[in-house]
Amino acid sequence: MEMNGSQRIEASREQVYAALNDVDILRQCIPGCESIEKTSDTEMNAKVTLRVGPVKASFTGKVTLSDLDPPNGYTISGEGSGGMAGFAKGGAKVDLVPDGDATILNYTVSAEIGGKIAQLGSRLIDGTAKKLAGDFFAKFSEIVGPTPAAEDTPAEDVAEKKGWVGRLRDSL
Amino acid sequence: MNDQTKIDQDRAERTEKLQGMGCKRKRVEDIRFTQGKGSYVDDLKLPGMLFGDFVRSPHAHARIKSIDTSRAKALPGVVAVLTAADLKPLGLHYMPTLAGDVQAVLAEEKVLFQNQEVAFVIAEDRYIASDATELVDVEYEALPCIVDPFKSMDPDAPILREDIQDKMVGAHGPRKHPNHIFEWTIGDKEATDAVFANADVTIKEMLVDHRTHPSPLETCQSVASFDKVKGELTLWGTFQAPHVIRTVVSLISGLPEHKIHVIAPDIGGGFGNKVGAYAGYVCSVVGSIVLGVPVKWVEDRMENLSTTSFARDYHMTTELAATKDGKIQAMRVHVLADHGAFDACADPSKWPAGFMNICTGSYDIPTAHLAVDGVYTNKASGGVAYRCSFRVTEAVFAIERAVELLAQKLGMDAAELRIKNFIKAEQFPYQSALGWEYDSGDYHTAMKKAMDTIGYKELREEQAKKREAFKRGETRELMGIGISFFTEIVGAGPSKNCDILGIAMFDSAEIRIHPTGSVIARMGTKSQGQGHETTYAQIIATEIGIPADDIMIEEGNTDTAPYGLGTYGSRSTPVAGAATAVAARKIKAKAQMIAAHMLEVHEGDLEWDVDRFRVKGLPEKFKTMKEIAWAAYNSPPPNMEPGLEAVNYYEPPNMTYPFGAYFCVMDIDVDTGVAKTRRFYALDDCGTRINPMIIEGQVHGGLTEAFACAMGQEIRYDEHGNVMGASFMDFFLPTAVETPHWETDHTVTPSPHHPIGAKGVGESPHVGGVPCFSNAVNDAYAFLGAGHIQMPHDAWRLWTVGQKLGLHT
Repeated sequence: MEMNGSQRIEASREQVYAALNDVDILRQCIPGCESIEKTSDTEMNAKVTLRVGPVKASFTGKVTLSDLDPPNGYTISGEGSGGMAGFAKGGAKVDLVPDGDATILNYTVSAEIGGKIAQLGSRLIDGTAKKLAGDFFAKFSEIVGPTPAAEDTPAEDVAEKKGWVGRLRDSL
Repeated sequence: MNDQTKIDQDRAERTEKLQGMGCKRKRVEDIRFTQGKGSYVDDLKLPGMLFGDFVRSPHAHARIKSIDTSRAKALPGVVAVLTAADLKPLGLHYMPTLAGDVQAVLAEEKVLFQNQEVAFVIAEDRYIASDATELVDVEYEALPCIVDPFKSMDPDAPILREDIQDKMVGAHGPRKHPNHIFEWTIGDKEATDAVFANADVTIKEMLVDHRTHPSPLETCQSVASFDKVKGELTLWGTFQAPHVIRTVVSLISGLPEHKIHVIAPDIGGGFGNKVGAYAGYVCSVVGSIVLGVPVKWVEDRMENLSTTSFARDYHMTTELAATKDGKIQAMRVHVLADHGAFDACADPSKWPAGFMNICTGSYDIPTAHLAVDGVYTNKASGGVAYRCSFRVTEAVFAIERAVELLAQKLGMDAAELRIKNFIKAEQFPYQSALGWEYDSGDYHTAMKKAMDTIGYKELREEQAKKREAFKRGETRELMGIGISFFTEIVGAGPSKNCDILGIAMFDSAEIRIHPTGSVIARMGTKSQGQGHETTYAQIIATEIGIPADDIMIEEGNTDTAPYGLGTYGSRSTPVAGAATAVAARKIKAKAQMIAAHMLEVHEGDLEWDVDRFRVKGLPEKFKTMKEIAWAAYNSPPPNMEPGLEAVNYYEPPNMTYPFGAYFCVMDIDVDTGVAKTRRFYALDDCGTRINPMIIEGQVHGGLTEAFACAMGQEIRYDEHGNVMGASFMDFFLPTAVETPHWETDHTVTPSPHHPIGAKGVGESPHVGGVPCFSNAVNDAYAFLGAGHIQMPHDAWRLWTVGQKLGLHT
């Protein structure tokens, strides 16, 4: 399954690129993300709960950043196992193009699923993946390039939610 | 009223009272089934019984890096978790298949298909077991998978079966590739090639009989109970062949066979799905032996559709050579058979491709050659005979589609081409080019009756008009006329060529007459809904003159039933039905001696009269079978053993060859692809008819499953090996809403070698029905130049055909 889209973000390319590498921001943007931890500069462990049709599953897996080309973009890919529910693999190639003070974020997403989630939910996957990708980038632009109305809340959110994961990371 | 009329009337009344052969006797088992009082495996509740459930692989092909059962074991209510590591020391992590291969019970190093069994959780109830399966942490390393069987033998194909990769000679000869299972050939290749090289007209088409599943409403299940003190195992299960299961359990567990009691209670449909041995059976047995309490395993729907025995998946390159006036001279077929990850086909041992060599069908084709290559893929194993004798649906589909394609190429009517090539009545017994001896048949008579009844000529005229109207744009409907004239081969089988694990495919019956003249009879077969309790009693009733209502039929308990090979491949009536008749005749012979003694005459002075022996010429001097039964226990003749019972193990001299002529009229909406079956007419010739009502029911059921297979039912895999047809959301199981109306008819050509002339009918309608539906669809689109349209013919696929032909402007 493949799809693409773009999102305009009210922030500079450098800011956007930095945010794309920030686990705290990623944690807030990845739909259903329960935890995400950096294991190296380009690798993270994540736990994500997803619901596809009749199947709800908690996926644990790895998120890898590759093709790093600051500030033009990168590829983010993930691979997770949801136990009996199945597994999911996916990735997004992200290109950042300046547009005045703002940035246009173009993305191409590919996803592959297996196991029960594929057996029961295959006809729902395209729609679900589109929605998840949409949710991710909408949230991302909300946090990174907040529109004036929504400016305060997400910023506070970031600070608050830094929470124990952030503290743990800082202490390491 | 004269004396003769009186005598005739009296005999007719007594005959009617017996409810013997030919009577539309109501099914005695329906009294409990229709009241919800059947007793199935899942109804069994034993004290202390535990429940098992499988951890299954989400991957089609992956290496198992680790299995951690600690979280599952910590869940309250979980008693044990079995993995391959537990089974390996017992030598039980693999089990033998009926096809001479081995199959993983629990995956050890690799998983080879999605939903393959990886661990077995045993808990205090089914819900806890199911919850705990999600707590077993299995780490996999995904490997590239093979979904397309045509890629199995590529030089760079991943090797699937590492356990046998160095074993280049399999159970059926040399293997050409690590993913190759067998090559099986029959017929004269040189002669066939020579005919093709010089033929006036040839056709060649890849005909795919796609992967589907028998999908019985009751899934596979078992309850094992091991008595540690006695060292005895009792195994209840959904077994079409209980004795074979007992032997297999003994061979793989090492338990002596007399200490294993296998019981198959009521079974909710089998259709081939319940012939094989499955991991669930083994795990429930191991669980019970280890824990000393009963363990139950019940498959859910997805598990049934995606793991236990699929059917078909034959890719048949089919060729015919003919003269320009339509005489078929030769047939050449190559089959690529997708067997999945393990070769677990349920065929007689020497027949890796079943009876595919019946593929010359109902036609006198002098020269033929068939080659079958079996390959491994990353799919569930199986290849069972789904409501047909071994690979007979595939064979009939190949010949019946090929004949249509030939008719089209010759510009000849498809019915006329068939009639021209039929084996003639006087040619029976007929020796086919691929090695079978057809016992009997009268194809021309059956075809003529069918064509006259359906009004074939008028239908073709109507079709011609409709086609013109379609071309003029006056209608968007296509009319298709499907024909199928099939010959089945059932009743496996003679020991010279049929065995399972070395056991000859005889079957058996044991009949005991009680002193008061009622009867219990036990057979080595096992009904899964066929109505054995009704029909076997009718055979006995006619043979020995005791009313069917006084005869109890019992099957499925290996302690009490004589050894038999079970029920599949329409073998119950041809084999166990024959055993029943022969055993009954033994009883009758003894009864005649007793009657002679009672009447103080010589045996030769007696004659049989419906339910009694009477003295020839003195009809008022007789002894009824009831009187004789009492005497057998009370005052037998001197020097005769008391009692009245008999056993027969029947070795069939040949298979039986039922046949039939089917016609289907279909109207297809070219814009939506929705196909409506306007008429379906099925004429069956199954030889002597025991219970016409049950035959009709069998035909209705078989046709419904044929309709399902041809028109939508499929187990599909995506390119990653995800099984896409594993629930009733995706897998087409027709209900009364979709099912067409069936018209049934018959001719009777008794089998010359069967004691009562019966041939078996349970599977004919499926075998004949599938190509009939497909031929109707193909016929509808033929004049538009569609070429061969592959099954299944669901609305979406037919819409796609219209789209490709540019009909949706």
